[in-house]
Formats: sequence, C-alpha cells, structure tokens
Amino acid sequence: MSILQDIKNAVRSRSIHVSYVDVGSCNGCDIEVLACLAPRYDIEQYGIYVHNNPREADVLLVIGSVTPQWVDKLRNIWDKIPEPKVAVAIGNCPISGCVYNRRGSLINPPVSKYIPIAAQVPGCPPRPTEILSAILSVAPLIFKDYEESKS
Amino acid sequence: MRSIVYYIREFLRPEWLKKFFFAKTAPLVTPSYFKDYPTLTDKECTGCFSCMMICPAPGGIEVLRRKDQWVPEIYPGHCIRCGLCVEACTEGVLTSGRILDVTRRDGTALRSWYHLEVDDALCMRCGNCCVSCPINKQEDPQLGSTGTSSSDEVIMRIEGGRVRILHEEKCTGCKTCETHCPNGAIRVARMVEGAHEEVEA
Ligand code: SF4
Ligand code: SF4
Ligand code: SF4
Ligand code: SF4
Repeated sequence: MSILQDIKNAVRSRSIHVSYVDVGSCNGCDIEVLACLAPRYDIEQYGIYVHNNPREADVLLVIGSVTPQWVDKLRNIWDKIPEPKVAVAIGNCPISGCVYNRRGSLINPPVSKYIPIAAQVPGCPPRPTEILSAILSVAPLIFKDYEESKS
Repeated sequence: MRSIVYYIREFLRPEWLKKFFFAKTAPLVTPSYFKDYPTLTDKECTGCFSCMMICPAPGGIEVLRRKDQWVPEIYPGHCIRCGLCVEACTEGVLTSGRILDVTRRDGTALRSWYHLEVDDALCMRCGNCCVSCPINKQEDPQLGSTGTSSSDEVIMRIEGGRVRILHEEKCTGCKTCETHCPNGAIRVARMVEGAHEEVEA
C-alpha cells in the first residue's frame, strides 16, 4: 500500500491539472492565470497543466465574485471534478467582491459560501508568482497520502 | 544515414539532455518596485482619514484607534493595491513600492476637498442636514432645530426656505448629513485633483 502511495505521491506532485472558472469579474485575474502559462513564468515546468476540463482537474481556480447565474453552475463544476480536489480563490473578488461589492451590484460573494475553498490568493489581480506558489503549496497538502488519510 | 547519426550524437550530449529535462526559468523574485499592499512607515498617523476617503475598494483600508494613536490597517482581499492611499497621505505614514520616491521626485500631490450639493427638487427644507452636521454644531452651538442659524461660520443653514451652503471648505466628509437626509437630497462628493509643483532643474 505504502509503495503504491509513494508512487501516487510522486506522480501527483508532478502532475497537477488545473481548471479555472471565472464567475463574474473584470478578467484581470484570468489574464494573470494565462500569464502563468507564458515562458516567463512557465507553470508547466512545475508539472502544473492548465486546461479547462473539470473532469480531469485536480485544482479549480475560482475567479470572480459570483453573479447569480453562476451560483448553481459553480456547484455543478465543482461536483464534476473527481476526488481528490481542491479549490483556490484567485483575486479579491471571490474573497470580498472587490470593487463590485457596492450597492446595486448583482454579486454574491464570498465564493466559500458555495464550494469549499482551500486557499485564497488576494490581490487585484495577484501576481502570477503568487498564483503559482499558492497552487504549489496547497496541492501537496491535499494530494499527499490522499488514499491513506482517507481510509 | 549520416544525418541520423549526427542527430543522435547531438541529442545525446549530456549538456543538451540536462537542459532539456531540467531547465528552469530563473527563480522569480518580486522586484523592489512592486507596488504591494501598503505598509506602515514609522511616521505618526494624524487620523485625517484621507487614505480611507480616497480608497476606491470597499473595505480596503480602515484607520483604527489603537490605545492612544491612530493606525491605518489595510485589508488584503479588499485592497486592490492601487497605491492611492499612499499618495493621499500627507504625513507619509504609508508606503508601497517606489510611490513615495516618485512623488517626492516629481513634486506631485493629491489635493482633495468636499463638495456639497443639494437637489432643490428633492429637498423639503427639514434642516436635518444642518442639525446633524457635527461641524455645524461646533461652529454654532445655538443652531436652531430647524437648521436656521445666525452664525455665518456654519457650513450650511436653512435660509430663505432652502439650504444655503456657506463654507464648503469646512466639511470633513463625514457624510452625516447624507445619511440623515430623509430624501437623499444632499450629496457629499469627494473631489480630488492632482497637483504638481514645478521642480527646480
Ligand atoms: S492601495 Fe488603494 S485599494 Fe489599497 S487601501 Fe490603499 S487606496 Fe485602498
Ligand atoms: S491619510 Fe495618513 S495621516 Fe491621514 S489617516 Fe490615513 S494614514 Fe493617517
Ligand atoms: S459631510 Fe459631515 S461635515 Fe460635511 S456637511 Fe455633511 S455632516 Fe457636515
Ligand atoms: S436633510 Fe435633506 S431634505 Fe432636509 S433640508 Fe437637508 S437636504 Fe433638504
């Protein structure tokens, strides 16, 4: 069991699949996530792969301050991700609603009301390095020895 | 055939293999000029609230009373790191990146004041605004309960059946009048203007 677990740990630490969803924001954070893919930050050198398919994702990056239309759909996306999974809130919006959190705006933050959030990366937008280090530091906490800790 | 051998030789060079499998971009350090969340310098905060007033992000900054001094507190998750509070603070209490250096070098500053406006179509001349204003009370303790006053020093008073604004410049932007107006007739607007003094060459 433990050898198998070791192999799984090793594989998982080099193969983190990320899916991101914008539930209503200015798109600034999306651009920073995409900047992580560019050669300057090169997220793939750490074994993190971004492709937008919740069914093969391990990490869900949630961006945006949750508009009413997203409330049920966000939950759907979260349910589609296979275990073990983790959600990371990117930017101010999922934490507080940021500048949209004013009278008359149609948002309903924080995101943690709808799905469990493991880590928050504040910033408007956060630097790509901040996003990177958040994913890298939260992933092992969730994925390491997942099967053993579950049983 | 020769080219195949050439390619195999080329790709088996240890140096190439090492670069191919283990190349990493240089560790990314945050540059010193990065405009991060404002931090406190050792200057003393006077509690003028300029920073709170200019902050565009709801709940980004709060100036709190701690024991016997004012302390501005920045809330990550709300603050958008715009740096306006750093620029607005005349005391230099806050700092972030190289904003202070640049404003000092260029001699720029933000000038702000409060503009009061009463919509006469909505106002019913109740005088709530004049009565609730703490500065008004200070200037004229005899202020009438209907907002009339014999003092010329008040910010505003009811005069001739309407609100007359006399000393806009005394307004501290507390918005007490706005919250006490039953009709939403009075509006307090914070006006900010960039000021630039000529730098000696
Ligand atoms: S940096 Fe900008 S958003 Fe942050 S507290 Fe200062 S004024 Fe507010
Ligand atoms: S602007 Fe400066 S002095 Fe005024 S309350 Fe803010 S930190 Fe204090
Ligand atoms: S904002 Fe405050 S100080 Fe200014 S006029 Fe209204 S009550 Fe008076
Ligand atoms: S409180 Fe409003 S309605 Fe009453 S006098 Fe002032 S502006 Fe007019």
